Amino acid sequence: MISIQVKFFGPVRDIVGADELTMSLPDQCTGEALLQTLMNRHPRLGEWSSSLRLAVNLEYAHIGRVLEDADEVSFIPPVSGG
Amino acid sequence: MVAVRSEPIDVAGIIRDLSSPGAGGTAVFLGTVRNHSHGRKVHHLEYSSYVPMAEKLMADLEEEILRRWVVHKTIMVHRIGPLGLGEVSVAVGVSAPHRKEAFEACRFAIDQIKSTVPIWKKEYSDDGPVWVGSEQTGDTPGMNA
Repeated sequence: MISIQVKFFGPVRDIVGADELTMSLPDQCTGEALLQTLMNRHPRLGEWSSSLRLAVNLEYAHIGRVLEDADEVSFIPPVSGG
Repeated sequence: MVAVRSEPIDVAGIIRDLSSPGAGGTAVFLGTVRNHSHGRKVHHLEYSSYVPMAEKLMADLEEEILRRWVVHKTIMVHRIGPLGLGEVSVAVGVSAPHRKEAFEACRFAIDQIKSTVPIWKKEYSDDGPVWVGSEQTGDTPGMNA
């Protein structure tokens, strides 16, 4: 098992109702599998799933990235700064 | 210099910090809070950010600018928290030997900030709060910069 920290922002934060969660995941868990786990808990995330970008340790990453112990992970909704 | 913070943006201070003896041109872009969006009357905005990631991506942008253009200094500051109409939400400045590089690098920086840096804008209007970016309208009237 690995333990990771997941951070939530913008509309995703509103749906999940938390700024961050510490989660235990099976070894070799991918970003995609984590997103599916979160969508099972929070079905409304499904509305966003196609537009979320995975970030691992402050960098954008491919959704199929294998997560590692102590990673900081986020699913970034469409940005709207400026 | 890059920063994401809740304090008001000190535009005069930014212009001062951009000055350089070798600079022949300084370009500064300011994004400000507009009073309308998608036909709605906007009261105020609230910006939030994944601050460490935003500042890291902005620092990467700064490095890329210094590689691609001959410029002296770059400054990118984005404000978060509640902002009233007319307030400055983002400031990007570049000083360079010549105006062409200053304009191009400044334009590049604000375009990249708007498309990649993890900052989100919630608009409060008569119709209630809306996350900008959640409406796929195909144009950009929801963006204030």
